[in-house]
Formats: sequence, structure tokens, C-alpha cells
Amino acid sequence: MDVLDLARLQFAVTGSLHFLFVVLTLGMAPLVAITQTRHAITGRPVFERMTRFWGQIYVINYALGIMTGLVMEFQFGLSWSGLSHYAGDVFGAPLAVETLVAFFLESTFLGLWIFGWHRLPKWLHLACIWLVTLTAYASAFWIMVANSFLQNPAGSRVLPDGRLTLDDSGALLTNPSLLFSFPHVVGAGLLTGGLVLAGASAYHLLRRHAERELFTRSMRQGVVCATVGAFLTAAFGYAQFAAVAQVQPGKFEGNVLAGVSLGFMVLLGELFLFVCLFFLLPVVAWLPKWRWTHPVLIALTPLPFVAAILGWIAREVGRQPWLVNGRLTVEDALSPGLTQGMITGSLIVFTALLGLLAVVDYVLIARTVRRGPEAAFLGVAAADPATPGPAPAMRL
Amino acid sequence: MDLLWYAVLVLLLGGYFALEGSNIGLGMLLPALGRDQPGRDRLVAAMAPFVLAGEVWLVAAVGVLFGAFPQLEGEVIFALYPLVVALLAGWVVRDAGLWFRRRVEGPRWRAFWDGALCAGSWVLALAWGFALAAIAGGLHGPVITLPGALGALVVAAVLAFHGRTWAAWRLPDAIPGGTPGGMSDATPGGVRGGGRAGWALCGSAALAALPAVLPLAVAAPAVLEHAAPSQTLSMVGLMVVPFVPFMVAAQVGVWRIFGRRRSRDAGTPSFF
Repeated sequence: MDVLDLARLQFAVTGSLHFLFVVLTLGMAPLVAITQTRHAITGRPVFERMTRFWGQIYVINYALGIMTGLVMEFQFGLSWSGLSHYAGDVFGAPLAVETLVAFFLESTFLGLWIFGWHRLPKWLHLACIWLVTLTAYASAFWIMVANSFLQNPAGSRVLPDGRLTLDDSGALLTNPSLLFSFPHVVGAGLLTGGLVLAGASAYHLLRRHAERELFTRSMRQGVVCATVGAFLTAAFGYAQFAAVAQVQPGKFEGNVLAGVSLGFMVLLGELFLFVCLFFLLPVVAWLPKWRWTHPVLIALTPLPFVAAILGWIAREVGRQPWLVNGRLTVEDALSPGLTQGMITGSLIVFTALLGLLAVVDYVLIARTVRRGPEAAFLGVAAADPATPGPAPAMRL
Repeated sequence: MDLLWYAVLVLLLGGYFALEGSNIGLGMLLPALGRDQPGRDRLVAAMAPFVLAGEVWLVAAVGVLFGAFPQLEGEVIFALYPLVVALLAGWVVRDAGLWFRRRVEGPRWRAFWDGALCAGSWVLALAWGFALAAIAGGLHGPVITLPGALGALVVAAVLAFHGRTWAAWRLPDAIPGGTPGGMSDATPGGVRGGGRAGWALCGSAALAALPAVLPLAVAAPAVLEHAAPSQTLSMVGLMVVPFVPFMVAAQVGVWRIFGRRRSRDAGTPSFF
């Protein structure tokens, strides 16, 4: 492999790892927020246990989202400085807004939410998780603005020195590549979050966990959320074809990997829509009692992650050989002076480190699911006798 | 306009060193200040609520670099290639230590991730030192140099000092030199010590920000030359300005809620 292939592989590996965690974050954030709202309104303890259990899974998942996201942000400068040289005046703007506003607020409010249990007033603590949710979706929006610019450099014009400049920020934000892809990504998140809730609840209901009400509610909530997600994903997935035909004709015809990924993603999407709309949703009231369906729900859980990665492969590989479609090739965007040694070194460091941590994170998520709500550590109260933490009166 | 964005960049990077620098420094000193596991748990619990709100300052600084000075972003990050890779690796390992250390019970698991927290913090501090020295030197030639090593030692020392000062402010009875004696928040001695410790903390925060702000001041003419056109700067400004009050409120909220005077509910187990 040459330098270009290695640089692309590094971006693909870190980007795919990042999205695996982001897609679940997007799906689970509103579910946790809704559950906590129900607890705030009704005061019923089951909603608090639900919030803490799913919230802990959400938060453990979030950890890898941050770590992979940091590497993503710096990688533009490391391997693709040609992009910021050529199109930075346009491409940098949405990324700046994403980091400066959306992520800054998301991370700060998440810290307040995680460590604010039993410290913040109830409604302020609830507001924190809603703000985390809102800013997570704002983050996704601005990242999709930046990505859609690469698919179709709308709102920009070429300067006499050959570089791109921002011409019309309205056109940047109403890019045909963005309008249907953003709701598609939102749908994919809801689908993933919903199926994870349903699958994990199925696991415990199948094993006759004592928290029957908690998992019954969670399964129903998950199925409804997954159905909404599957519907949005499929509808806005198909709607994108018109825009793709307009701005990137032949995107999936000339490229085998993009075409095959697209095909299998569509297949999985149709499977989700079919299963959710015609099977899971109509019987959602009885589903928690029908134990024979639970292995199916468990088996479905990993599939939205596969579909999400296939979707990104189709979108990004289909853009090749362009980095900015029709304007800048990936070859020209490569940092001038990037050597085989440099890119090999960073590829090994990032892949090994993030790959290993991703495995650890998934083992921890699986472990948290398996141990159930009674072992949830997030938001545990000081007076709780089940507290696994250290005694408060310790000295150094 | 470009001058304003430059000020924002300096503010964000300086803020990162002042606010997150103490967490990095505390991570570096974790085995020295926390001799046993309960001691380390207590130190990590003290910094935990501040980490998420601290590291966003650097993410935002790089975002501003990308949005307002895009030409520079590619050049600077690429010129510092091995250091940026080391910095990211250190940052990720440090964060993994924080997020994972309490996820499984058992002394060996926690000791392992405490080791990751400490090692990651050291790599982060040293990589920053090399990088800031290279930026101060104008980014000519190799980035691993003798002045770079000196810069690394200075930054590591400054951050460690800041971390220790922060710990003395946040956990006065836990740190030698802090005000000894039980839950000192409630005692008059603790309050007096708090005032002194507060001023010491402001001083060490300013000291920690200095190694970041100075090279940026030296590089100011070169940075300003590379500003994005005004159309881009206005668009980013238009999107950011309405949210500044929220950003300030959230950051102030973190310090008000988890700051020194509110440590009465220290019995609540920390998530990190």
C-alpha cells in the first residue's frame, strides 16, 4: 500500500470506529432524556432505575465516542492538510461551529449530568440531559454540513488563486446532499438505540429477570423508537437518490465497494422496516411476554451497526477519487511531505489503541447489560447500602 | 475581525492550560499524591467533574484554528506530526484511565487504569512541551530538539505544580501543605486556608497558561496573515455568538456546583 492508501485506511478505521459509538449515542440520548422526564413527572422509582441503567450504558458508550472523535478532528491536519489549504475557508466553518458550540456545550452539560446526580436540583439535572441530547444532534448536523460539502461543494466558488471560498452560507446549509442525509443519520441513530434497548431487554426477560416492569417498558420503548428510526432511515435513504443523481451521477455504478455496500445497507434497511412495521410494532403490547421472540430481538441488535458502517462506506468510497467532489482529489489533498514511515506509525498507534479500547468498551457495555439495573453505578446515592464506593471518612 | 478571532484562539488555548492543565498535572502526580488506592480514588473523584468541561477548551481551540485560520491548521498540525500523534495517544490513554477505572471492581483493574491515567497525563504534558517549543521556534526543521526537551520539562513542571496547587485547594486536608484536619470546609481554619489556596490556584493557573499564550503571542503576525476571509469569519461568528452565554453559564456552573464549598456531599461515589 502506498501513502495515500494508508492515509485513507487510517481515516476509514478511525471514522468507522467513531460512528459505531456516535450512532448509539444519538439513539440513546433522547431515550434516556424521555425516561428521566417521565421520572421527574410521575416520581415513579422504576423510571429512575431505568434512567440510571440505560444512562450508564449511554455514558460508557460515549467515552469511546470522545476518544475516537479527538483523533478524527486532528487527522484533517495530520494527513489531509491539502483540504484545509484548498477548501478550509469553507469546510472549516461548520467544523468550527460544531466544536465551538455543539461539542463544547454537549461535553460540559454531560459532565454536569454525570456528576450532578443528588447535587443539582431535579429539574436542572433533567435540563442537562435534554441539553446534551439537543447539542448531540446539533453536532451531528454540523458534521453532516461539512461532509455534505465534500459530496457537493455548494455555496462555494473558486478564487483566482485556485482555492475555494465561501460564497453563500445559505447554499451551504441547504445543500441537496445534506437535506435528506441528515434525517437519514438521525433515523439510523434512533433505529440503533431502539434495537439496543429492545435486544438488551429481551436478554433479561428471556432469563426471567426480577425487574420485569423495567424491561417490559424498555422493550416497548425500544421497539417504538426503532420503528420510527427504521421509517425515517428508509424514507430519507430513498429520498437521497434524487440528490445523488443530481450532484454525483454514477456514484454507485463505477465503484464496486460503494455499490455492494449500498446494496447490503438497503437490504438491511428494508429488513428493519419490514420487521419493525409489520411484526414488532403491531404486537408490541404482547412482545415482552412472547419469550420465543426474544432470541430474534437479541440477534437483531448488532445489525444496525453493520448497516451504519455500510452506509458510510457507500457514501465515502462512492465519492472517490474526489475529496471535494469534482474539485479536489484525495491525492491532491494529502499533506505534502507525508512519508510512508509517518503514516504507518500513526496508523499502527491509532488502530491498535482505539481498536483495543473499543473492544474493552464493548465488553464493559455487555457486562453492564448483563449485570442489570441493580448494579448500575451511575447516579448511585451516598446513603444507598448497595454503594460499592469507598467509605467517605477515609484519610490519606 | 481576524484580531478578534485570534483573541478567541488565545483565550481557548490559555483556558485549556489553566483549567485542564490542573487535571493533567494531578494525573501526573497521582502515584505521588495518592499513596494508596483510597487516596488515589479521592484525588480522581476530586478532578472528575472538571475533566469533561476542561478538555473541550482544546477541542474548541482546534475548531477555531480550522474555522478562522484554516491555512495554518493544516500547516501547524502537519509540522508537529509525531508530537500530535503522541499528544492524541496520551490524551486517549488518559481519558481511558478516567472512564474505565471504576467500571470493574477489583484492585488490579483500578491500579492498571490509574497507571494509564498517570502515563497518559505525562505523555500529554511532554508532547505539549515539545510542541509549544517548536511553535515558539517558528516551526523550522525537526520538532524533537534540545530546546524542545527543555520546553517539555518546563511544561511538565508547570502543569505538575498547577495540579498540586489545585489539589491543595480542592482537598485541603489530603495534600501536605494544605490545611489539615478532617472536613476542613466547615472549620474556620479551612476557610482561611481556602482563601489562600484560592489565590495560589489563580496564580498557578496563570502560570500554566503562560507556556501556551507566550508562543502564540510570538507567532501572532504569522497567524493573522493566515486568517480566513471575512465572509467565513462572519458566518462562524453569527452561529457562535448567540451560544456564548450558554457556554459561559455551563462552565461557571461546573465550578459553582463542584467547587470547594460544595464538597459537603463528598460521600456520593464518583463515576470516575
